Amino acid sequence: MEINEIISSGLLELYVTGLTSPEESGQVEQWAAQYPEVKAEIEAIAIATEAFVQANAVQPSVGTKDNIMARIKNQSTATAKVVNIKSSASAKVISISGIWKWTAAASIVLLIGSGIMNVVYFNKYTTASKGLKETEQLLAQQKQESNLMNEDMDIVKNKYSMPVALNPMPEMPDANAKIFWMKNTGEIYIDPTNLPAVPDTMQYQFWAIVDGKPVSGGMIRSKDGNTYRMQKMQSFGKAEAFAISLERSGGNPTPTKVVSMGKII
Amino acid sequence: MYEIKKYSEDELVSLLQQKNEQAFSYLYDNYAAALNGVIFRLTEDKELSEDILQEVFVKIWNNFASYDPAKGRLFTWMINITRNFTIDTLRSKGYKKQQKISGDENSVNNYADRTAGTDKFDTLGLRKQLIHLKPEQRSILELAYFGGYTQEEIAKELGVPLGTVKTRMRNAIIELRKLLQ
Repeated sequence: MEINEIISSGLLELYVTGLTSPEESGQVEQWAAQYPEVKAEIEAIAIATEAFVQANAVQPSVGTKDNIMARIKNQSTATAKVVNIKSSASAKVISISGIWKWTAAASIVLLIGSGIMNVVYFNKYTTASKGLKETEQLLAQQKQESNLMNEDMDIVKNKYSMPVALNPMPEMPDANAKIFWMKNTGEIYIDPTNLPAVPDTMQYQFWAIVDGKPVSGGMIRSKDGNTYRMQKMQSFGKAEAFAISLERSGGNPTPTKVVSMGKII
Repeated sequence: MYEIKKYSEDELVSLLQQKNEQAFSYLYDNYAAALNGVIFRLTEDKELSEDILQEVFVKIWNNFASYDPAKGRLFTWMINITRNFTIDTLRSKGYKKQQKISGDENSVNNYADRTAGTDKFDTLGLRKQLIHLKPEQRSILELAYFGGYTQEEIAKELGVPLGTVKTRMRNAIIELRKLLQ
């Protein structure tokens, strides 16, 4: 662009009045650096527009100057961050006064304190949580036992259940057991809790004597070989007597050694 | 012609770069009213103007290092800082831009009663001369300085193409220069 074209473009006037875009401003500054005539023209425009601004002056109140002078005096003792400002952008002044320093220090102390309390309370929480878990487990276990007990009681209390005591044979004088025979359904439950413990290789077998012959009613299950619970055996519609024999693990088709027996009265 | 200088501009700039309070006091005495005029025309609120004026001067003091004499005159730099800061403040505070662009002859003199003219400048004399500007020339100068507008907004406001804004602005300032000679 010719110097005359630049001068008559109107862009220099907009530049001086701060109305050019950053790109345009850059361009004008480049021209000003390159051509003394452009620089002189900008200067002349600036003087004219400054006069226009002066013509519109409004005198501020008397106290305003004192306030400003007091502020800049105070600032020299505070830390001020100076941000470079462009004519098109405003600058930010960030000052940190004493109170904020103390506030920041107090915040850090509080933060550390809070951190310590977090650890303390987390430990307490963990302990409490563990305790709660144990209690819950215990409760669940008791509830289960209670349920089993109730099931057993239901059998005993059932109005159709007929108890039959099985008496020990001389070979095994402690072999006491009870049968609960449901007369309406023929279901048979055995309470083997009083039977003596047997070796792992041996197992009690339940029998019903039907028409004078022993019929297997199933093996009596035990937990780890010596803990018994009331349990359901094979059902019999009719039977004259019930018996328990001691057999090898898994049972036999016919009783080997009868240890307890009871007749239905 | 209009300034009674105690310091040359170079001296003033140099002293302000060294954070000289006396020079700053001088700067205030010479330019506060003009800058306050810019702010007042934008805010139309006397108290707010003076609050902003305080911020502007503190900003000028703190950021004086960013003034580059090679890029332009000190007063022009201050005017632009003042205007931009005022516009930013008004925008951030959600003030409504109350435009007062008047093409009539009295638009400048309307403010005369609020202007307890400074002794440093022949404000009144300038004001009288501005009456000789054509209304369209005065209104474009006012829009540029006191409207808080961009080029595009001025074009829209006047209902003319962007190119015309440039031409009209140039003609207005040429006229202004003639009046000031």
